[in-house]
Amino acid sequence: MKSTIDNSSPTPRKGIRRYWSSFRQFFAQTPLLGWLFGLLLASILENLIGYSLARTIGLSKPPVLFGVDIALKTPHLLPSSLLYDLVIYIIPIVLVVRFLTPLANRLAAGLLRSPMWLSALVHMALLYATLYLWTNVNDYRALVSKLMMVSIIITLSLNVVNGYMGEFSCSHPGFIALGAYIASLVTVGLFVGGDFGFILLPKFLAPFVFPVALILGGAVAALGALLVAFPSFRTRGDYLAIISLAFMFIVKSLFENLEPLGGARGFGNQPNLATLPVVFIWTMLSIWIINNFVQSTMGKALNAVRDNELAADAMTVDTRKTKMVTFLFAAFWAGVAGGLFAHVIRYVNPGTFGLQKLAEVLAMVYFGGLNSVIGSIVGAVGYNLLSEMLRPLELLKWIIIPLLLILVMIFRPTGLIAFREFDLRKILQPKVSPKIEEVENVPPAS
Amino acid sequence: MGKTFKFTLISLIIIIAFLMSSCGQATPQTIKIGVNAPLTGDIPKVGEGSKYAAEMWLEEVNGAGGLEIGGKKYQVELVIEDNESKAESAVAANTKMITQDEVLIIIGPQASKQAVPAGQVANDNSTPMISPWSTNPNTTLDRPWVFRACFLDDFQGPAVANFVTDEFGFTKAAVLYDIASDYPKGLAEFFKSAWEGLHGAGSVVAYESFTTKDTDFSAQLTKIRESGAEFLFTPQYYNEVALIAQQAHQLGFDSPIMGSDSWGSAELVPLCGEDCYGQFFTTHYAAAGATGATKAFIDAYTEKHGYVPDDVAALTWDAFNLAKQAMQDCGTITGDIAADRTCVKDALSKVTGFEGITGTMTFTPGSGDPSKCAVIVKINDKGEFTFYKQSCP
Repeated sequence: MKSTIDNSSPTPRKGIRRYWSSFRQFFAQTPLLGWLFGLLLASILENLIGYSLARTIGLSKPPVLFGVDIALKTPHLLPSSLLYDLVIYIIPIVLVVRFLTPLANRLAAGLLRSPMWLSALVHMALLYATLYLWTNVNDYRALVSKLMMVSIIITLSLNVVNGYMGEFSCSHPGFIALGAYIASLVTVGLFVGGDFGFILLPKFLAPFVFPVALILGGAVAALGALLVAFPSFRTRGDYLAIISLAFMFIVKSLFENLEPLGGARGFGNQPNLATLPVVFIWTMLSIWIINNFVQSTMGKALNAVRDNELAADAMTVDTRKTKMVTFLFAAFWAGVAGGLFAHVIRYVNPGTFGLQKLAEVLAMVYFGGLNSVIGSIVGAVGYNLLSEMLRPLELLKWIIIPLLLILVMIFRPTGLIAFREFDLRKILQPKVSPKIEEVENVPPAS
Repeated sequence: MGKTFKFTLISLIIIIAFLMSSCGQATPQTIKIGVNAPLTGDIPKVGEGSKYAAEMWLEEVNGAGGLEIGGKKYQVELVIEDNESKAESAVAANTKMITQDEVLIIIGPQASKQAVPAGQVANDNSTPMISPWSTNPNTTLDRPWVFRACFLDDFQGPAVANFVTDEFGFTKAAVLYDIASDYPKGLAEFFKSAWEGLHGAGSVVAYESFTTKDTDFSAQLTKIRESGAEFLFTPQYYNEVALIAQQAHQLGFDSPIMGSDSWGSAELVPLCGEDCYGQFFTTHYAAAGATGATKAFIDAYTEKHGYVPDDVAALTWDAFNLAKQAMQDCGTITGDIAADRTCVKDALSKVTGFEGITGTMTFTPGSGDPSKCAVIVKINDKGEFTFYKQSCP
């Protein structure tokens, strides 16, 4: 076990390091299922007693993002929000992990014997239940979660190009914009009307048409990618970066000058279709499909192209086709994410899809880790949470986040969790086989 | 490591936390007002102006012992959120203030690209919102909960056209605007249609555009000079206005240049210099030669922050006083946030003859747009913005 490396020296560790290693050992035996149980219990608890607890300890409402924003704005409420976190999140999770780990291990082992999709579905259902309960407390949490999940799709899709394929593409905001506008055009045109003279369909059909709109948005983004791919894949490295950057500006200018779609004024009134379950399902779908893609033969070919294109060519990899398909695939998911984004915010304007968006997306990819699905998830979630939590700091936020990025680049040049395979079986499996659990306080002899 | 140690540690933390948290309790009934401002991002100066105006207003109200509503005084608390000049952050900030902080009313966002999506959130969540500065019609369109404190572009464009026709008797106009920015573009269009309504089709002899961050306008200005236009209308921001005016004069275009409220920044004259002297623009208020409440506000602001407030600060101040007026018209604050919000919204839509520092405002039920006058300002030979004329609907 990886976590026992610290303990391998014969002399007992002192101080913090000893606590840290026993802390890690304590948690290393818990499978994902156990953690999900803990999170679920914490969010149930918050729904039941969160409000009254917050009231008793001097907070007006349950803190939204673990009390960080409260602590930054009104430092004298820091102890209260810490206490809240302790009672609602930390203690229940630790207790569940402590006492339900054997049960979770047994359950996980049982689930592993059933088909993989069933096990994955059970985990996802638990995750969704947690997310639903957590966001049930406050609409703001729901919005942050939705934006976070959209970011996961965007980051993953860019990681396919920048991480797995090893190119530096800057056109992602352009693809997102294409997807956002096309999907909005379909839903607004069919269900809202306004300036568009389309046939209006009854409202109850909207949730069924929405996936079609998203896929159409993705398809148009992929078509746009084809335009970049043709001239640019004759070049590599910096040249692709420049061509793709140009594409981003072309798309932005296109929408700025497209008067029927609002031009620079933006395009609003999207129906409220991107609800929490819809965004959740699309995110899970994107993780599943993108993960399968990068682990397929095509994905391996992709890595070969990245490491040495000539060698890959010599080994009968069709490099041109590989690069084309990958780029289109990434653009498709960026387009889908754009469609979701437009329906979460319910307004799009060309200015959103400029250099700032590009910097954000690239930051999430490189922060999380190249060539890694988990890295992308961590990057998107981490960046979004940090960005929301630190917003009360105003200008300081824009110093802290870039500094963090610099530190990550210095100490982990490829990102936090780079080059790691997303192996579903490994993630879902029990961490200890049910027999050898409960070895309390004995340093593992590794 | 013993279990006992862990337990002691945890219980110690809990006890300390309880002891410390008990200090900040028993808050009296307060009214919370949300401010959604671009404190960072593209237009930090706008955010700063809104924040300063909000804080000054708060000081004045709380300094007088609180806001008096129905014979009872309430302390006011501001919840200031940074929208980073991004649409998604403006939406997040509004959602947070409405659901978490439970503000009674929201002032902001300033720019339309944030005010339009944020207005949707406010309207969906039945919370009144006043955008001081957003001129995009969509901000308040079909949204009974959303109001604004400024006039719209479809009023300002014709106001410019009427003023030039009456004042100079010109018949041939030229327009130069940024096609990639919504405000100049909208205003240019409204001006064009108003001008052509007055002088017939083809009277706008040059209708030239550029893109944000362009700095060389000689091609467009040469065309404008060749077209024989008698004046140039350029609804641009102060930094571009400086470049346009200087380059126009270098190219030999000496006819008047007209502007819009986006000119009204303290930075305009230092950047533009003598090239802007003698030019006119429409705006919300004129700082030089102001009287009464307007002067009091300008003096207090200048004393505190060291520069003359621009129109964003003045409009924010007015938005706050509008909110105050609505709360007082409401009569009572029950503490039931949903009922109070409804009451404030209903009161806001009935406000008539409100004396703001940027002019008298009247709302008609069914629309969040006030009916108010525009001020035409002349930049005098000392580079001050002086009141020249008023143009009323």
